Amino acid sequence: MPSWPAETKYISQSTPRVDGEAKVTGRARYSSDIQAEGWLYGMILRAKWPSAKISSVNLDKALAVPGIKAAVVVRDGAFTIRYYGEEIAAVAGTSKQACLDALRVIEVTADVHHEFVVNESEARKENSPRVWENSPNAPTNPHVRENGKVDDAFAECAAVIEGFYSTAVQIHHPMETMGNTVSWTDDGLKAWSSTQGISSVRDGFAGALKLDHSKVRVITDYMGGGFGAKFGAGAEGVLAAKLSQAAKAPVRLMLTRFDQALAVGNRPSSFQKIKLGAKADGTLLAFDAENYGTAGIGAGGDGGGGGGGADIPMPYLYKVANTRVKQSAVAVNAGASRAFRAPGNPPASYGMESALDDLAVKMGMDPVELRLKNDPNPIRQREYKLGAEKFGWQAKYKKPGSSAGVVKTGVGCAAGAWPAGGASRNTQGEAQINPDGSIEFRLGVQDIGTGTRTVIAVVAAEILQLKPAQITVRVGDTNFPPGPGSGGSTTCPSISPTVFDICNKALEQLQTQSGIADARGENWFTACKKLGVNPLVVHGQWQQGLSADHACGVQFAEVEVDTETGFVSVKKIMGVHDCGLIVNQLTLESQINGGIIMGMGYALYEERVMDDLSGVVLNPNFETYKLPGIGDVPEIEIVLINMPERGVIGIGEPATVPTAAAIANAVANAIGVRVFSLPITPAKVLAALGKAPPATA
Amino acid sequence: MKAFEYATAHSTDSARQLVADKGAYIAGGNDLLGLLKEYLVEANILVNIKSLPGMNKIEHARSHWTIGALVTVAQIENDADIKKHFPGLREAAADVASQQIRNVATVGGNLAQHSRCWYFRHRDTQCLKKNGDLCFARNGENRYHSLFTGNTCISPVVSSLATIFAALDATAIVLREGKEIRLSMAEFYQRAWENPLSHNSLGQGDLIVRVEIPTARPRSAFMQVSDKHAFDWALVSCAAAAEVVDGKLKSPRVALGSISNVPHQVETANQFLDGKVLDDATATHAADLILKDAKPLEHNGYKVPMAHALIRRTLLKLKGDA
Repeated sequence: MPSWPAETKYISQSTPRVDGEAKVTGRARYSSDIQAEGWLYGMILRAKWPSAKISSVNLDKALAVPGIKAAVVVRDGAFTIRYYGEEIAAVAGTSKQACLDALRVIEVTADVHHEFVVNESEARKENSPRVWENSPNAPTNPHVRENGKVDDAFAECAAVIEGFYSTAVQIHHPMETMGNTVSWTDDGLKAWSSTQGISSVRDGFAGALKLDHSKVRVITDYMGGGFGAKFGAGAEGVLAAKLSQAAKAPVRLMLTRFDQALAVGNRPSSFQKIKLGAKADGTLLAFDAENYGTAGIGAGGDGGGGGGGADIPMPYLYKVANTRVKQSAVAVNAGASRAFRAPGNPPASYGMESALDDLAVKMGMDPVELRLKNDPNPIRQREYKLGAEKFGWQAKYKKPGSSAGVVKTGVGCAAGAWPAGGASRNTQGEAQINPDGSIEFRLGVQDIGTGTRTVIAVVAAEILQLKPAQITVRVGDTNFPPGPGSGGSTTCPSISPTVFDICNKALEQLQTQSGIADARGENWFTACKKLGVNPLVVHGQWQQGLSADHACGVQFAEVEVDTETGFVSVKKIMGVHDCGLIVNQLTLESQINGGIIMGMGYALYEERVMDDLSGVVLNPNFETYKLPGIGDVPEIEIVLINMPERGVIGIGEPATVPTAAAIANAVANAIGVRVFSLPITPAKVLAALGKAPPATA
Repeated sequence: MKAFEYATAHSTDSARQLVADKGAYIAGGNDLLGLLKEYLVEANILVNIKSLPGMNKIEHARSHWTIGALVTVAQIENDADIKKHFPGLREAAADVASQQIRNVATVGGNLAQHSRCWYFRHRDTQCLKKNGDLCFARNGENRYHSLFTGNTCISPVVSSLATIFAALDATAIVLREGKEIRLSMAEFYQRAWENPLSHNSLGQGDLIVRVEIPTARPRSAFMQVSDKHAFDWALVSCAAAAEVVDGKLKSPRVALGSISNVPHQVETANQFLDGKVLDDATATHAADLILKDAKPLEHNGYKVPMAHALIRRTLLKLKGDA
């Protein structure tokens, strides 16, 4: 079994991003920067109604707009619209304005339905309008999982709490919107995609357009974030391809920010009714929960939806002997869900960790103690103890609502996990070693923004005893050996062992060919020179024993809450995290910073607001879909536990899981009452404090 | 957006002629461009007024200061004399949007900006403010909406400068049909109070040229609360101004933003405060008077306690160190 070196020069140290300069100078070309020869703009016409039957779409007037080179409908014949913003047609033209003008003159003949539903609790009612004609919005008999005797167990509990905890739909808003430049000719299809999975995008194009995989090439040099939204070719990619074919020119179709808010997937909402009970010593004894959430149209049936991904793990990290969980997804007329950074986990953490704190308060127990009593995971046990000490928990934790004054302080903690995060086992790669000693790695992976090139350079430099700057890294091209999609926190544990393998194979061959016993470090150039004129190309693949899965993590939050205005200010977050062997500490810390900031948005600001009357998304922009800005970001302290013995584990998802719960618990600790729904806005804080008067107008 | 012509005016006369019946003036363009892009406003010509002479200056006189309509919000924020003489005005300017927006946003544009109601701004909702049949917000998502209105529309005025100008009893000087007219902040927004289609009292071709602020109130303050720390609209904003003589308020004025379609001012509260020594009880009573007739809707009731707190805090800031 291979193993990582015990003494390291670069691994577990901090190497700045190898492409940092290219990024900050603008030299790095993102997918939305691509200007292929003769390219056209592409734009999409979307439904103005949440529900309608479209009988025909006439593109003639659009095609007559000066500058317009192609127009296509999403599908032939009549079709049904089930949410506001669903795609209808697309146009390609020589300017953005030409496209906008063309979209406005497309004639859509539609029977607009006035019956629709965008609100989860309304959609669950028996007489609700149906999203899918042939099945109810929510299953009539939701799946129930039961262990032990829940009702009897509650009778034995020393303390029981009940709460209805809810989380909002979170929209995918990476800094770079979804999209591609697509060139589709008789020779094949080439796409410059903003994607986190070049291979899955290639397969998506091939499948949708009935092309051989060998005829599709996907390139992603640099892309601006994905978070789970960007694995497929997408409706926008397929439309760009059709436009390209029709216009006989490359088409760049990047979604607008408005588009992005409607139809690219999102994190489902959750409505968690939780009852939790414990014995007098704090041991959890009984858990009863009913949860529903919406994945938009992605539930209910017609073969299109399936489960929809609204279920969450309950009772999350804890083993409760007597547990009953009832869950169901509910369909509404709104954009469907899609994987979103640690799917299921942030809402699960919010619900369960809130319930735990409410129980701790009721029992007069310290929340950290209650967790140490019940969390079965030894790594998190370590993290709680380490974090509590560094955070100064004992001194800072006070009775809820007991801090003096109008602006109250509070602290909270919460835990997370990411059970996946292991490797994609068929990851491959190659390196070309040139006689001049230069070396180039080629992996069919992409950098979603986490620093993939840097990870490859760090591992290679370590094994070859070179410097990271001496390693050239090429990624983001389906012509390279296949790599993983960058999702599920799998990239780092997939590529690190692969690069390790490539390096060792390269050394082996180089040493054989050059006759130098150890070609590493200072012997490297001498050995390479002995290659003569032909470069050495070696292929490697992922190896067992160098990576693992299941990262943990706990976070502590400190907040100030103004009890007269309801304003919440996060003063500090401490993230205590593990991810096995730390590959590059600097980019690891970046991931945790980003995860915490995203978790803050989930806790305090982000919410898709649907309008019941019109069925539109009311906040399709950054003005009213609120994301954390630099002014909102608190002090973030990161405490890492390096566990080389576990091998490499991904950190992208676990970093964001506990943040919202920790903040919510800190807010409850500050004001002495629970805000039962995310995001925790000033309005909700004032309502929880009983200060908001009822409607009179 | 629809195609338009573009011209630069070098005098107010030519600006007026160029803009004619269907044009729009453009200075910073922050609001106008958004409106044009969403097809909420149409203009056959944009008349650049940034070159109009003399309109980008802050001038001092004994009885009042003059702030040209083309003065940027950042200019106000960074002016040491404003900070000294109208501290509330500087605070209001500093809370506007982001630094990049403040760098180009003008006083005239800030006052004339249109509603931010998310039904009005949405391309696919035909609300009362866009000649539709109903106010969607009334029975819909009204968390950002008004506690007071003179008509059916409940979209609030969001101009932070209007709020502090109202407290300072400033006057907007508007060029209308070749003549200067003088509008108090109440008058400047009166039509929005009456008519859902209006955002303010300006008519086609009216041009804001300057704002005059009396120096009678050397103490002033402005506070707002938003969902976020920065670069976010106020949920409620409050401005107060007065002179303090022997510890007593003289000519005090309080105004609130984001809770009414005009800067919300209650004359009985101003009268109550006149001659009083500021303390918690006085500030609380003033807040009670100012919010007495508030009509909260389903989702904006929180604005009542929030406004109450802001009124008290803003008033107490007037005490300063004295």
